[in-house]
Amino acid sequence: MSELVSHATDYEIVEGEPPELLGRNLNSGAHLFASATAFFFLAFVFAYFYLRSLNNADKWRPKHIDPSLAYGTIVMALIVLSALLVRIGLLQHRAGRRAQWRRTGVVALALGIAGVVVQVIEWTAIGFGPADGGYASVFFGWTAFNVLFTIGTLFWLENIVATSLRYRSHATGSPAPGEASGDPGRPGHDISDPLSLVRPGLESLSFYWGFVAGLGVLSWVVLYLI
Amino acid sequence: MTEAAASTTPAPATDHGKRFLVAWIVASVIATPLVAIFLGDHLPPGNGSAQAHEQVFDNSWLLAIMTPPGLFVVMFLGYALWTFRNRGTVGALEDGPPIRGNARIQTLWMVITSAIVLFLAGFGSYELVQSGAGGGQGPTAAFQPAGYQKALDVQVIGQQWEFTYRYPTYGGIETPHLVLPAGTLVRLHVTSLDAIHSFWAYGLGVKADANPGVDNIVYVHTKDPMQFDIRCAELCGLWHGYMFDTGHVVASGRFTSWIKQQQSYFAPVSKYLPPYSTTYLPDPSQRAG
Amino acid sequence: MSAVAIETTPPLWRRLIGFNLLTAVVLGVGGWYLGWFIGHQVAGASIDYFGDIDQNDVAIFCGYIIGLLGFLIGLGFGVYPWSRMRGYPPSLREKETEGAGRYFGLCTDHKVVGIQYLWGIGLFFFVGGLNAMFIRMELLSPTSHIFPPGQYLTLVGMHGTMMMGMFTSGILGPFANYLVPLMIGARRMAFPRIEALTFWLLMSAGAILTTTIFFGGFPTGWTGYEPLNDQANAGMDAYIVFFALVGISMCLLGLNMIATIVTMRAPGLTWSRLPIFCWGVLSTAILMVLAAPVLVAVLGMAMLDRTAQTTFFLPTGGGSPYLYENLFWIFGHPEVYILALPGFAIVLELLPVFARKPLWGYRLSVAGLLGVTLLSWLVWQHHIFVSGINSDLRPFYMLSTELISIPTGFTFLCGLMTLWRGNLRFPVPMLFCLAWFFNFLIGGLSGVFLSDVPSDVTTHGSFFSMAHFHYTIMGGLVFTFFAAIYYWVPKMTGYMLNERLGKVHFWLMFISFNSTFGPLFAIGFLGQPRRAVTYAHTLQFLNDWVSISAFVLGFSLLLFLVNFVWSLVFAKVPAPANPWGSRSLEWQLPSPVPVHNFDRIPHITSDPYDYGEARGPVAVPAPTGVGGMS
Repeated sequence: MSELVSHATDYEIVEGEPPELLGRNLNSGAHLFASATAFFFLAFVFAYFYLRSLNNADKWRPKHIDPSLAYGTIVMALIVLSALLVRIGLLQHRAGRRAQWRRTGVVALALGIAGVVVQVIEWTAIGFGPADGGYASVFFGWTAFNVLFTIGTLFWLENIVATSLRYRSHATGSPAPGEASGDPGRPGHDISDPLSLVRPGLESLSFYWGFVAGLGVLSWVVLYLI
Repeated sequence: MTEAAASTTPAPATDHGKRFLVAWIVASVIATPLVAIFLGDHLPPGNGSAQAHEQVFDNSWLLAIMTPPGLFVVMFLGYALWTFRNRGTVGALEDGPPIRGNARIQTLWMVITSAIVLFLAGFGSYELVQSGAGGGQGPTAAFQPAGYQKALDVQVIGQQWEFTYRYPTYGGIETPHLVLPAGTLVRLHVTSLDAIHSFWAYGLGVKADANPGVDNIVYVHTKDPMQFDIRCAELCGLWHGYMFDTGHVVASGRFTSWIKQQQSYFAPVSKYLPPYSTTYLPDPSQRAG
Repeated sequence: MSAVAIETTPPLWRRLIGFNLLTAVVLGVGGWYLGWFIGHQVAGASIDYFGDIDQNDVAIFCGYIIGLLGFLIGLGFGVYPWSRMRGYPPSLREKETEGAGRYFGLCTDHKVVGIQYLWGIGLFFFVGGLNAMFIRMELLSPTSHIFPPGQYLTLVGMHGTMMMGMFTSGILGPFANYLVPLMIGARRMAFPRIEALTFWLLMSAGAILTTTIFFGGFPTGWTGYEPLNDQANAGMDAYIVFFALVGISMCLLGLNMIATIVTMRAPGLTWSRLPIFCWGVLSTAILMVLAAPVLVAVLGMAMLDRTAQTTFFLPTGGGSPYLYENLFWIFGHPEVYILALPGFAIVLELLPVFARKPLWGYRLSVAGLLGVTLLSWLVWQHHIFVSGINSDLRPFYMLSTELISIPTGFTFLCGLMTLWRGNLRFPVPMLFCLAWFFNFLIGGLSGVFLSDVPSDVTTHGSFFSMAHFHYTIMGGLVFTFFAAIYYWVPKMTGYMLNERLGKVHFWLMFISFNSTFGPLFAIGFLGQPRRAVTYAHTLQFLNDWVSISAFVLGFSLLLFLVNFVWSLVFAKVPAPANPWGSRSLEWQLPSPVPVHNFDRIPHITSDPYDYGEARGPVAVPAPTGVGGMS
């Protein structure tokens, strides 16, 4: 009835979308999510400076509240290093050095996980608790949510590294249909050449991971230095 | 009738536009003063204090200023819906004229709305700067009325679920009744011991949130002796709905004798009170966990 | 027709095992108990709380979070991350089959998600509306007579929270999810799985909020002000989890909308040809993406205050309730426009169709939408004019608040001028759009009183402000929500809604709405505070008037429900492809729309408002098969 579509058309026609479109989707999604992340942590930045300026009941930061700069620096450095490595991995991938990228990716993942582990160790060894005033509240809240975002990003990194490792012998081309994520009953992939999405995924991830690392630097400056 | 005109006149738009504008201007010119004169005086919160009077003045001005824009939209809708409705002479899906905009109308609209908005903001700010308009101003009141140095200090303490009042110039006694002398500039210090309350003295035109740990200052200049309602205007927990009271403005002679009587009445317990302070920070009696 | 058709239908018991709603509920409940158990291992129950010595907020939060994860895994949301984790390549869609079953589980078809949203939000709208009826029942008498004060506050809080939380997605959930891909000539949203996730997150949130009644309700109203929030009993946890989930769902929904509109427009659909509805969705989505994270963060702080004993909001511990008020309203004011902007967009989208004229001042109306989006960030302190926060900044917030009426005025001008010299007809959707002008006019003008500090001192926290935001949200959003239902449901379901019952519904709703909320302005002016269970006995006549009007309003909504069910289930009058004679792209498709929307991605040749101009088809199939933005 319409020249644009009819009910009788076979469902098969939606199969095999071009991967470039997905790359664009991912890229804009990563930028938007970075904006959302920025506004999320804006609340903590606001809380830090607001409570500090009010210093209610002189409980903003009693004398003994002093987290170890060494731990903070290690956590920050590990995350920043991991983000740098992902960036380097992206450059290697662009240059076609896939094997190098896989090694860089694994190291970046390990560094990121180490950063989370060191953060957890810092919490246990810190010498004050979340109930010890305004600064302590902001410290624990901010670092806790920072770790959540970090873990989420590391999960994404792990996905890309895992795909690269699993299909290390495929240059491009489609894996077997049954291996497509999602509906196993689907006879073909709904993206043509899904493996080519590693690159756009890596590009978006590299941007977002760099952004999260930047937030890590910000939290380091705010929570430890000033 | 307009249909006949539309078929004969080549440019019916100007005809309709002019007719609507004239009708609107006439209606506004008649209605606006009527609103200001007849409705204005009945607007809340009455004439109990200089601040309340200011608010009545403000409310009646706002209502008068809003009358022409309000009439514009309603009359426009009425005019357009009646005049341009499909009367069955053309098909329901027959297209109207493809008018995509008019730069002059757009500019005019922007200029007029901006002028109204800027006037309103200027007017409101002017009214606010006079004396704070009866609203809570925080610990350092930015907008102070003339002669504020000599104002009578009264502290309002909100707690779950009542207001109590302290008079620092009378030995800091605390009573559950609010009595103020007539014709006096009063500086209310509103604070809370637990959740956020809001001290709303309706007849005085005073509203100020009571925050724990904050000294929220309001100036109010009382006039003649009167009674006024006090309510909590910020949700503060279970018995919020029952947090109301009646306050009094009395002649200054009666005020002096009342405060003496209160001092002697509460003398046995007054010595247990904490010393007067602008804020109190008791530990919370309940926390979740 | 579907390639995924099941070859042999397995027996019922076999079909119940697998990822579906039943599994989800089982895993959700199981997850709740698991989380409850873990929470009790991590932290002891509070013993100094005199109301409820068993209260263990850590256990409750753990229960909610793990229960939610169980629910989502049961629906099948875990399958994709699990296979990605093992390195399998990405895919786009899941379970895009036909048949009724797809509405009750994870489905990545944007049309299915739209209809899921319509029913799901409708359900919670009904629950929230029922709460409103109970509130008005209680306010028939000036003293507490039906509900004890605690229950009354829970009703008030649930009504407000349900409505504010659910209706943030009230237009974008059902209508934008369904229509944006159709309007921009795409087959899907940018992130179909996230799209499905937003819906199920919202539904779990609603279910979690409802469980507050098992934990004693919550006393704070929808704003959840600290430190009352910190002091409240365990029902408060449901509020926090609910609103945080709504925030996450909102943020992801907005993200998906922006990404879709930016990257997936069909060739030829330039920004100046984009339907105004999509512009409205875009501006709302910008607010969602940026404002909702602030809400999630502030509720995260509240959660830490209630569990880990941090002191973000306790003045005795170095925190401040002002922090909560500031952060909440930094989210809260954009949130108000998240509720208002889709209404503007629907009115501007529908008027050209029923006036048979192009949209007047397309650029100006876009400027209006974007101007509101921008300005809504600069006004949050007008909610706290009398709180004592930054009192010397009040003239600035007064100015910025009043400035918003300029871009809002653009919407009025464009809408009104579109009517001028048109060929107007008045089917039900048009009536609801016209009612928007009247309601939002009153809502906007009353807003001036609240933006002006001296007047705000009288009206803040009173029924006046309550009447004001019901005029803008109910009058602005719910009326256009119904306009959208009467207008687009024929496209979504393939069946027309009954026009005569619709007109009765409209007039009853319009009159009773004004008769309910109009007198509330007077009640507020006369000194009745919001959320108080008692009021001055002199105000009883007005309150009873309002209550009875509110019952009629409730009845008019029941009438709608009858119409909806009757038309879709029993009468089943098939809808033509384009019953309103619209030029918009979605109406060029059959009703209901086939699973894959377009055989070939269309090439857009004009904007959808070219009434009265030389017309060709608005879109032709593009020469190549698949593609995105040109």
